[in-house]
Amino acid sequence: MFQIIKNEWRFLVRSRIFLGITIAFSAIMLLSIFLGNYQIKKQEQTYQNAKDHVRQQWVSIDEMNPHSAAHYGTYVFKPSNLLSSLDEGVNSVTGNVLRVEGHVQNEIIHSEASQMQAVSRFGKLKPSLLLQYIVPLLLIFLAFNSVSNEKQSGRLKLLVLQGAKPIQLIFAKTLSVWLYGILLLTFIMTAYALFNSQNLSTDIVIRTGLFFSTYSLYYFIICGLTVFFSARWQNATVALTSMLGIWIIWTMFIPNILMSSAEKWHALPSRNEFQSAMTEDRSKGLDGHNPTDKRSIELKEKVLKEYGVDSVSQLPLNFDGMRMQADEDYGNSVWDKHFGNNRAILKQQKQSFQLGGIVNPFISLQNTSMGFMASDNLHHQAFLLQVENYRRVFIKMLNDKQIFGGSKTGNWSWKEDNAFFKSVPDFEYKPTQISEVLSNYMLDILLMILWSILVIILIVYGTKKIKII
Amino acid sequence: MRSLKTFLFEWKHFVGSPFKILAVLLFIIASMYGLHNGADLYHKQNAEIERINEEVETKKATILSYFKNNEKGPSEHPWVDITTPFWAIYNTPTYHFKNPSPTLVYNIGQTEQYGFYKLITTSSSGYDADMTKEIANPERIQSGTLDFSFVILFLLPLLLLVLLYNIKGQESEHGFLPLIFVQTGSKNWWLLSRTAFYTVLLLIVIFGLMVYGAMLTKVFVADTMFWNLLLWVTLYLFFWITLYFLILKYGKNTVSNTLQMVGVWLLFAFIIPATVQQWIAIEKPTNLMVDLIDVSRDKKSEINAQPIAVIDAQLFQLYPALKETKVAKDTIIVQKVRGYSSEALINLEIKKATQSIEADNRIKNELISKTYWYNPITYFQNKLNQLTHTDYKDYEAFRNNIRKSVDTRIKMMVFDTWNDITIDKEKYLEYNSTLPNNAYY
Repeated sequence: MFQIIKNEWRFLVRSRIFLGITIAFSAIMLLSIFLGNYQIKKQEQTYQNAKDHVRQQWVSIDEMNPHSAAHYGTYVFKPSNLLSSLDEGVNSVTGNVLRVEGHVQNEIIHSEASQMQAVSRFGKLKPSLLLQYIVPLLLIFLAFNSVSNEKQSGRLKLLVLQGAKPIQLIFAKTLSVWLYGILLLTFIMTAYALFNSQNLSTDIVIRTGLFFSTYSLYYFIICGLTVFFSARWQNATVALTSMLGIWIIWTMFIPNILMSSAEKWHALPSRNEFQSAMTEDRSKGLDGHNPTDKRSIELKEKVLKEYGVDSVSQLPLNFDGMRMQADEDYGNSVWDKHFGNNRAILKQQKQSFQLGGIVNPFISLQNTSMGFMASDNLHHQAFLLQVENYRRVFIKMLNDKQIFGGSKTGNWSWKEDNAFFKSVPDFEYKPTQISEVLSNYMLDILLMILWSILVIILIVYGTKKIKII
Repeated sequence: MRSLKTFLFEWKHFVGSPFKILAVLLFIIASMYGLHNGADLYHKQNAEIERINEEVETKKATILSYFKNNEKGPSEHPWVDITTPFWAIYNTPTYHFKNPSPTLVYNIGQTEQYGFYKLITTSSSGYDADMTKEIANPERIQSGTLDFSFVILFLLPLLLLVLLYNIKGQESEHGFLPLIFVQTGSKNWWLLSRTAFYTVLLLIVIFGLMVYGAMLTKVFVADTMFWNLLLWVTLYLFFWITLYFLILKYGKNTVSNTLQMVGVWLLFAFIIPATVQQWIAIEKPTNLMVDLIDVSRDKKSEINAQPIAVIDAQLFQLYPALKETKVAKDTIIVQKVRGYSSEALINLEIKKATQSIEADNRIKNELISKTYWYNPITYFQNKLNQLTHTDYKDYEAFRNNIRKSVDTRIKMMVFDTWNDITIDKEKYLEYNSTLPNNAYY
């Protein structure tokens, strides 16, 4: 079998067209990595400038009431990720700016896609675009006549007479084309590693390793199926058109249709409904800015009883701050309920979509590609959760200062100095480790393995009775 | 005559090819699915607009009940006083809508990138959080909705490829191409006639699909949109027909022709648009709206911290007629009046910041437009977006309308406050009629 693979490669290398396509394609891939990296670095610079600017504003607060500072708030910008230079995932359609302030969990806004006219329906020129859409086509073109050509030229009969088994020949043909795909993948990964050698971490290495593995599986499925068709049908053109048909259905039709359907099966609320429901629930709780609110009065009585005093002025702390924090705590339960509900729906949509991998391995490839490159919705949601957790700590710090900082209830003119504001930590994004999220992609990996096994079974049992001539 | 025969004979060829029939059927199914997706979004947006309008009416009724019962506002918010212009205008619910065009059925365009309704307040801007897109799965938005325009822009060239790929190549491979040329006289006419057959076939299919789409929304009510769209789709079809015709004319065999056709499609559908988008992202990275943030934080604080005399001077410069108002002539300076009125000065700063953001976006759009001559799919895509009112510029106009509405609202609030007007039910109703919900295509 090894000899057949060697032979196949010898033929391939001799072909000028093949060499030309390989060189041109490698150049485009190199360009995609270079541009992807350059763009991410430039965006990273914009991000860093904005982050520094907003932080500078915060640490420059001379003196301010802590609750006024909670309203002044801060902003978190979605950081760029070097992995997304391989697969950008959802990054261009999600927002980039998130306001962090008291009383409310905001939504992320200002997406890249909303800042200009439409350009590409398939995203930027990233290696994932080439690896997902174009490399499989290239493999189809290399494999579609691999067996039928041998039949037509009579070489297949000759090879069988020389002792080669047809099954061996088919597998060898599959592997030789698949190896070409692997070579392109290796080229991309090596170039990526060279461009980012200073930023490589264990997590990135594992993620890129998984990325490489899932693409390898997908390419095997494509190569195996194409060679199978080539062996089954006498006419190479039929094999080519069949595989082109499958490619169109897999990459153009099913993902779009399934994703739209998943969104219909598990519908998200409209923004207005979502906001109204939150406002409604929020109005049932304590209003931090309203001392005459029934729940505020109840809280006041409880605190007075706890401290054994008759009025808030006798309290050794600032009750206004306590009321604000109680407002926050109630608000947090409301945000958890509604944002949590949205996250649960998104998860259901994702699971339904993932099951589409049963009929279409391209879906599994897309999911894992985005996921392993930390640019899918799961990672986006993890980022949003981190920001929300930060917001809660941030606001609690300000409210605690209002409560225990030495001011009295009702004294809104009391202000904290610059040292306090400098001591409030800035948001630091902790990239999600692959070990935390790997389980979410197991179904995709499993389905791709099953598809690979199915292709092997097809080749073994489906080509038993092929005509040698 | 010979060409006509060739043309008619192609029907037999087509009917005898199950693969081609299947491809056309798949195209029709995808188109119908796409049309329904567009129609669903159209109906969903209209339903949401209707729901919001009902909400607005309920809110108006609640405020009117306060006037009727001689109340100043909700009892749980004792600081609200609807007899003052500030609170009355604050409680005048005004929404601006970007009404979906009936042609949304054909092309969703950039609709899902933006919000289509906006609650107007005196501190609103076109870049507020509620102007962002509807809550949706970002993975779905990223992969794009399969709408009719997607089918036309990306699948039509593939369908054409399936229908044309073996023309001439098959005859050449079987060795009877010279015979055909002898029989038909001219190879160009023979090729043209066969290609023309599929062009006509696709035109009929597309026209039928578009008529079907028109039945899902009220497309024909909207002027000549249907015919304009049909014209551009036809032009797009001719663009691909011409390219493929040239490939067939100069091609040698089926496989090589197929490879070239797929190559051209990949180049125009994937490589060029993706490279352009990458280049634009490098030239102009995503705007993180720092200018707008500065206004909402530092500028706002700076304006409010100014001495009253400075605020007055700035307001008089903005509204010269304000000097003639009751408060302006009063010697007792009312601090609260300045507090409310500073909204006008903040709005001025917001406008300056948004102008620079819009200018930045305009540069990006100009860069995109400059690539049209070698980036045809993006050109046609934006043309369809323009025709169906789902283009960036439509949403820019929507934002401009919002800005104008905010200006009117603030001006009204400032003048009525400075004229020390007490608001009653009639005046409140007048606010509602002067600041109504507004719809924009």
